[in-house]
Amino acid sequence: MKDIFKKEIFRVFSDKKMIFSLFILPAVLMFGIYGLMGVMVKNMVSDVEKHVAIVYVQNAPEGLKDLIGQSGYLETAEVTYLAADAAAEEIQKIKDDILTGNVQLMVQFETDFLAKAQNYKNAGDPIPEVTVCYNSTQNYSSSARGNFNSMILAPLQTSLLQNRFGNLDLLTVFNTQEELIINEEKANGEFLATMLPYLITFMLFASAMGLCVDAIAGEKERGTMASMLLCPVKRSSIVFGKLFGLSVLSSLSSIVYAVSMILAMPMMMGGMGEETGLAMNISLSPVQALELFALMVSLVLIYVGALCLVSVFAKNAKEANAYVMPLYMIVLVLGLMTMFKSGMETSQTMYAIPVYGTALSIQGIITSEITFLQFGSSVLSNLLCTVIIVIAVAKVFNNEKIMLNA
Amino acid sequence: MIEIKNLTKVYKLSKKKMQELKTKETVKRAVDDVSLTARPGEIYGLLGPNGAGKTTTLRCVATLLKPTEGTVSVCGFDTVQNPEEVRESIGFLTNEIKLDPHFSPKYLFGFFGRMHGVSEEEIEARRKELFEYFEITEFENKKIEELSTGMKQKASIAVSLVHDPKVIIFDEPTNGLDIITARNVTDLLQKLRDEGKLVIISTHIMSEAEKLCDRVGIIIDGKKVMEGTLKELLTQTETADLEDAFFTLYKEHHKEEN
Repeated sequence: MKDIFKKEIFRVFSDKKMIFSLFILPAVLMFGIYGLMGVMVKNMVSDVEKHVAIVYVQNAPEGLKDLIGQSGYLETAEVTYLAADAAAEEIQKIKDDILTGNVQLMVQFETDFLAKAQNYKNAGDPIPEVTVCYNSTQNYSSSARGNFNSMILAPLQTSLLQNRFGNLDLLTVFNTQEELIINEEKANGEFLATMLPYLITFMLFASAMGLCVDAIAGEKERGTMASMLLCPVKRSSIVFGKLFGLSVLSSLSSIVYAVSMILAMPMMMGGMGEETGLAMNISLSPVQALELFALMVSLVLIYVGALCLVSVFAKNAKEANAYVMPLYMIVLVLGLMTMFKSGMETSQTMYAIPVYGTALSIQGIITSEITFLQFGSSVLSNLLCTVIIVIAVAKVFNNEKIMLNA
Repeated sequence: MIEIKNLTKVYKLSKKKMQELKTKETVKRAVDDVSLTARPGEIYGLLGPNGAGKTTTLRCVATLLKPTEGTVSVCGFDTVQNPEEVRESIGFLTNEIKLDPHFSPKYLFGFFGRMHGVSEEEIEARRKELFEYFEITEFENKKIEELSTGMKQKASIAVSLVHDPKVIIFDEPTNGLDIITARNVTDLLQKLRDEGKLVIISTHIMSEAEKLCDRVGIIIDGKKVMEGTLKELLTQTETADLEDAFFTLYKEHHKEEN
């Protein structure tokens, strides 16, 4: 058993291609994907910021031109003023341009806008209107509208109110003071908690997949499995040796995944981190780290077992890959379920579902909400399931029809 | 010593297989009530056309297949009850069982030695002897995939003899080999026989059986139809050479099936 274990390990480490696909590729991929995402988000944000919007203002009230000039809005937009009696066709053309994205914004002030605003006295007096035309599906247009609201319309409103009341505090009935009381660890973990269980569950599977298929179905295909079966050792020893070897290898590969993912995270966050204010640091206590590790190991074991069981039935690696796909789908769905489970009550028994319970537990660890019972039942259910699978694999290894394709 | 008693091996046929074989039967009797005994110090040859059941018989001896009926014992151990002990005493060779192309002959020799429970010193000694005999010493650290077909075959023979087995089972020993390598292999089998080992081979090549085998069992459609030394076979069938003898038997026994 020890020798088979060693052989499996040696096989991978003596093969440059295997080392590359198991240990180097994941790291490169993670950095590549995250880096690219970061760069793209950054570009998108700065692109929208830099873009000069084309804005039309119709029937601008007196003083608005000065206000726009002072506000600095012109840095982001090119404003064209239209007369109150602009032709209807021209207005329609601007609207069409907004639809196609050639023009970003049109603001129309009602006739006698200022007079109406200043003469308001009693309820029932006319309230002047401002019509803002923009296209919410265009980033540039949305941004132009937002800037216009905050830089032009809001100050305009404030100054008009100032004229009307003299003292603006008259409008304030009371002040609200908000004090944030949250579990900081949980707040930190919230974002990771949605992503990480999903990533871990399926990444572990992905790293185990190629290995197991090759070690079982690949060996059958190459005709090297039979030479193992001819050795005077129990079939179960062969199974154990293989499973342990594969588990260690997949764990190593998944550690590479995890580490590179965490290291690459800031690259993605570089683009949006500061603005969105997402807290990305997770701090795990030694116990939590240990729990996470135990969960991952049990998960790897069950994956390796299941993958081997499926691969044994296949005549060659190609067939095995086809058989493995449904398993892959199941794992993906289970992982996704934890991502969108908000609102769903998670009962104690759900933690005892292999794989899914593990994803829940990982989530629990990150948000420091897990109980020992939940953690224990996840690990135990995985291990129990693994034992059953291993027994099944050992049984199948004794089946001459399956092993020799006879 | 190999003792096969009333060995029968029945395969269930899938619907697809039934169509392929154009038969309505749901089972195929690959080996039908075969009994034979092979002793140390002889080369026993199973002779028969393709699909006669030679490989199945040898696989049963090698514990890879379990007999449907009957028993097989190797060196006193039953292949079903004590498969590990049987595997301990046999070296099984066939073209279908290959060495992992990724490893070197040296590594695999050591690996299978340890799997057979051979001590490191003994592995070392055996490797020197066998690698020199097969002239693989200079390739011993190359990967199997880089070796030529003949070298691969030599390496896999060397590896399967690592534990100095008392019984050597060889399924179609010269199949697919060039004449030089084939000659090497037959020489080796004779050498092993002279060392007092039991060698059992399967073949469909008459000249090979004629030259190599001390005793021959002819298998047709899963049944052993005749057994004996070359001389005995020729006398019984009243023919001049093994090929004629085989065809006489083939006509006689194959007809019954149709």
